[in-house]
Amino acid sequence: MKAFKKYWAIFQITLTNSLAYPGELIGRSLMIIPFMWIFYQLWKVTYAASGSDFINGLSLRDVLWYLMLAETIELGRPPLARTISENVKDGSIAYLLNKPYDFLLYQFSTTIGETIFRALMNAIFGGVVVWWLVGAPEHPEGFIIALPAILGAWILHFCLTVMIGLSAFVVEDVSAFMWIYQKLAFILGGMLIPLDFYPQWLQVIAKALPFSSITYGPARLFVTPTAALFVSVMTVQIIWIVILALVLTFAYRRGVTYLTVNGG
Amino acid sequence: MKELKFLLAVWKANLLSAMEYRAAFLSQVIGMLVNNFIYFAIWIIFFDRFKDVRGWGINDMYLTFGVLASSFGLVSMLFGNAFNLSDIISKGRLDYYLSLPRPVLLHAVASRMIASGMGDFTYGFVSYGLSGYFTWDGLLRFVLATLLAATVFVAFLILIQSLAFWLGIMSNLSALALNALLTFGIYPITLFDNYAKLILFTLIPAALMGAVPAEFIRTFTWQSLAELLVGAAAFLFIAVAVFRLGLKRYESGSAIQVEV
Repeated sequence: MKAFKKYWAIFQITLTNSLAYPGELIGRSLMIIPFMWIFYQLWKVTYAASGSDFINGLSLRDVLWYLMLAETIELGRPPLARTISENVKDGSIAYLLNKPYDFLLYQFSTTIGETIFRALMNAIFGGVVVWWLVGAPEHPEGFIIALPAILGAWILHFCLTVMIGLSAFVVEDVSAFMWIYQKLAFILGGMLIPLDFYPQWLQVIAKALPFSSITYGPARLFVTPTAALFVSVMTVQIIWIVILALVLTFAYRRGVTYLTVNGG
Repeated sequence: MKELKFLLAVWKANLLSAMEYRAAFLSQVIGMLVNNFIYFAIWIIFFDRFKDVRGWGINDMYLTFGVLASSFGLVSMLFGNAFNLSDIISKGRLDYYLSLPRPVLLHAVASRMIASGMGDFTYGFVSYGLSGYFTWDGLLRFVLATLLAATVFVAFLILIQSLAFWLGIMSNLSALALNALLTFGIYPITLFDNYAKLILFTLIPAALMGAVPAEFIRTFTWQSLAELLVGAAAFLFIAVAVFRLGLKRYESGSAIQVEV
């Protein structure tokens, strides 16, 4: 319980810090506006060309709200892998490793603290634009139902990006790994196109991988919040969280033995 | 001629500096190539399912993405500091360039090379090769279009980032403008109505980086060449003028620092 209080305090401090510069927070969140506008242009033309109000069970309104949540999850994340890589390069990692806390839990507490208001601001700006373009979501309650899946998505993303960040213990510059991870998350997570529009064989592969639990699962749950989908999304997420948390713990323990600190 | 010699010397020094860490350099170049291939797979999936967007097909996407990637890569390699000029201005780091007997703007923007730009630059040519529009005279037009689109791009970066002379720290605004330019540049121009197109030729000149160069590469027309030439010259003129105007307001950071 005492240990939990420590990480809760770290989370609270980071959460408060993230509000210290509201202009910065708002400025960063404006990025979602051109994205949502261009998605609207693309999908409006695509739906008009298809001659149908529904494609694979999704209406234009569903697709736009799906993309809004997908972008909110993506744009709300702090650049954790780059931060860890920078800490390794400049030697400041030494100050994090010798403190009386677990490095991974410390990073988790700060990451979630940084994420919450970023995601909230993106959801507000993105939501206002999409509402103006296509109207209210068909299932507003979907946002509440999707919340556990959004939290699960953040945990999964945390595990993957920390693993990429930890590779800095060996290779120092992790930007190439991060770009490739980000693009795999785009394509296999359904970031720009819902997975429902993919060929069947690719849907099967994508839905079995953790990327779909990070983006597609929560976003689809938001637009079609059924009990069956909730159970399915959460089950796959929990399986991947357990697997990746174990791999991450192992990778961290091995990685620390490789670490060479360059100064500090 | 004197300035060209100077630029060549700066670029050579940048390249040697980047090559000092060969593994990191290669990982950035190859990583960016792979990154672009994976990103483009999204468009392959999209056009496989929906065929075309108002007459704009996958081949047009290959071409547009190719010229945009090559011009982006060229600017990253040769004028890497154009991406963080606002930081240099707001943190008083122009002092270093002002104290040397070379053109301030040219020296400042050319003093950094982003290694991943080489991956983007190379990818653009591969994308053009895969587009189905490849011809040898088309390749010459691709090179010319890349140069002109890169001029528009670097001018746009200088223009936006020079606003730091008036606004101070503005990393969010410059990131927003950059993202808008690249996003609108990649998407099919046929999506937009006339008002949006007007914006894409002026305020956010994405059309001059994607659709117009692609049109020029597909078929030579004097009109598309004129659009590119006038666009590149106008943006470069405005960017340099705004930078010079802003420079008069510049206040030194008075910080002792070393540029490496």
